[in-house]
Amino acid sequence: MNAKERILNQLAGKEVDRPACYSGMGNVTTAGLEQFGYKFAKVHSDAKMMADTAASSHKLFGYECAIVPYDLCLEAEAIGCVMNPYEQVDQLLYPTIKEKVIHSDEELETFPIPENVASKGRVPMVCEAIKLLQNDIGSEAAIGSYVLGPFTLAGQLMDLNELFKLSFKSQDRVNAMLDRVSNVTIDIAKALHAAGADYICIREMGATTDVLSPKVFRNVIFPHLKKVQEALTAVNCPTILHICGGTNKIMNILNDVGCNAISIETKNDLAKSREDIGNEPLIFGNIDAYNILVNGSPADVEKATLAALELSCDSVWPSCDIWPTAPIENLKAMVETVDKYGAEKWVRKNR
Amino acid sequence: MSREQEILNQLKEGVIEYEGDMVIEAANAALAEGIDAEKAIFDGLVAGIEEIGRLYELEEIFVPEMLLAADAMYAGLNILKPHMKKKDGGKKGSVIMGVVQGDVHDIGKNIVKMMFDVAGFEVHDLGRDVPLDQFIEEQLNTNSDLVCLSAMMTTTMVGMPEIIKKLKDKNPNVKIMIGGAPVNENLASQWGADGYAKDANNALKDAINMVSSLRNM
Repeated sequence: MNAKERILNQLAGKEVDRPACYSGMGNVTTAGLEQFGYKFAKVHSDAKMMADTAASSHKLFGYECAIVPYDLCLEAEAIGCVMNPYEQVDQLLYPTIKEKVIHSDEELETFPIPENVASKGRVPMVCEAIKLLQNDIGSEAAIGSYVLGPFTLAGQLMDLNELFKLSFKSQDRVNAMLDRVSNVTIDIAKALHAAGADYICIREMGATTDVLSPKVFRNVIFPHLKKVQEALTAVNCPTILHICGGTNKIMNILNDVGCNAISIETKNDLAKSREDIGNEPLIFGNIDAYNILVNGSPADVEKATLAALELSCDSVWPSCDIWPTAPIENLKAMVETVDKYGAEKWVRKNR
Repeated sequence: MSREQEILNQLKEGVIEYEGDMVIEAANAALAEGIDAEKAIFDGLVAGIEEIGRLYELEEIFVPEMLLAADAMYAGLNILKPHMKKKDGGKKGSVIMGVVQGDVHDIGKNIVKMMFDVAGFEVHDLGRDVPLDQFIEEQLNTNSDLVCLSAMMTTTMVGMPEIIKKLKDKNPNVKIMIGGAPVNENLASQWGADGYAKDANNALKDAINMVSSLRNM
């Protein structure tokens, strides 16, 4: 069973030999960038550069996947926001959105969303990168992509303070807006899948219970996540739901969204999560993407990987995007540990 | 209940119930009826924010509610603060705050800013996505006692070590505090910061201690 088969079969609920070691979030290493001599700020806008560097994670340390894009600006840009790739800056910075399209809460219901949003901005370029990746390593590794959840996307389109306040005070209006925004999420995710993405990770980090109450999550976030999942499942696209932060209070709700798997980070208490949602759902996680993968030693990485397996992770994912300076030896340690011990440590099999 | 107590209660309740109009009415009444502005701020508005902080720690309210309470509080603070009597030069200390370059999440920083504002600090808020040089320049221009750096993502907090080093190079006495979701105490000490703030309450307490220790030097 190769990586591709393992990942796709597991997401489809079929038998596999062991947990996979991969991600649904950005990972590109400075080693990968240096191999090609590409500058980070440039790779976000060039399909070949993006595909080359994404494939390097599989080629340099055996990651079972390749993921594009690296930044979080794809959908907002397609809608009409302006992205800042920080080309003039020396240090490595991920692009951010610098101009929003919703300027006041009066525009909530009326702000324009372009027709054929999946043909706008860099979406076609990322689709091209996915095709290049499938041709390059797609027979061995899974090619993944991600979209922001509707709420997190809305937080890029308008002032986040306003969005938070409205989500408490004016839930009907926010729900109406998110209903429109979720159509963008769906259209773009479908385009990425049609281009060849084997799975889509839905990233709703703006809605963590570190900031929103479970009640607001149920009323304002959950309906739109469910809508996105259903639309993607209808086209046979596997989905994984990832939310950063402490998510124990909403594990049941996340499970109700119905994605093929839930991804969690280190702040999630896995034992408690299993108590809440049981042993059936697939949970992926949760190696600390910075303190362990970047700052730790290979021995630390091995320890954290074994811990994730022993706490019942069904595949080993990092807690977030992997910061590019993560040493290759650390990433190799993670992949090799799962390869070597994954089958024997897999809680699901040993129950 | 005395009229003064009535007004102080109204200030406090207005904050707790996110009722800006109630706070405005009470703040104006406080001034009209000769209540000391500082008393109105500390026994009215701050009492309200302390209750909000308590409810937040108990996880009975969350960020949206905090933001609404902050709006109500600022509605009153903007009216009362200009009437505070100046003593000991008027301020507790001066602080520069900003979210580091590449990061646009400023809610946490704004909540900390509110605590500093209400406590009487002179706050220089650089906003978000702040380049390294701007922190240095602002520190040189304002000679602030304390610089607070904030980051919400692992991918941006990694810019902090350089800012800390450059600030300390220019002014070895400046105190630096860092905070934000991915930051922790280990990283703070590794990167040479003087303090790490787990949340706004702690940020304020630590800042007051840091600035006092600076004054005693």
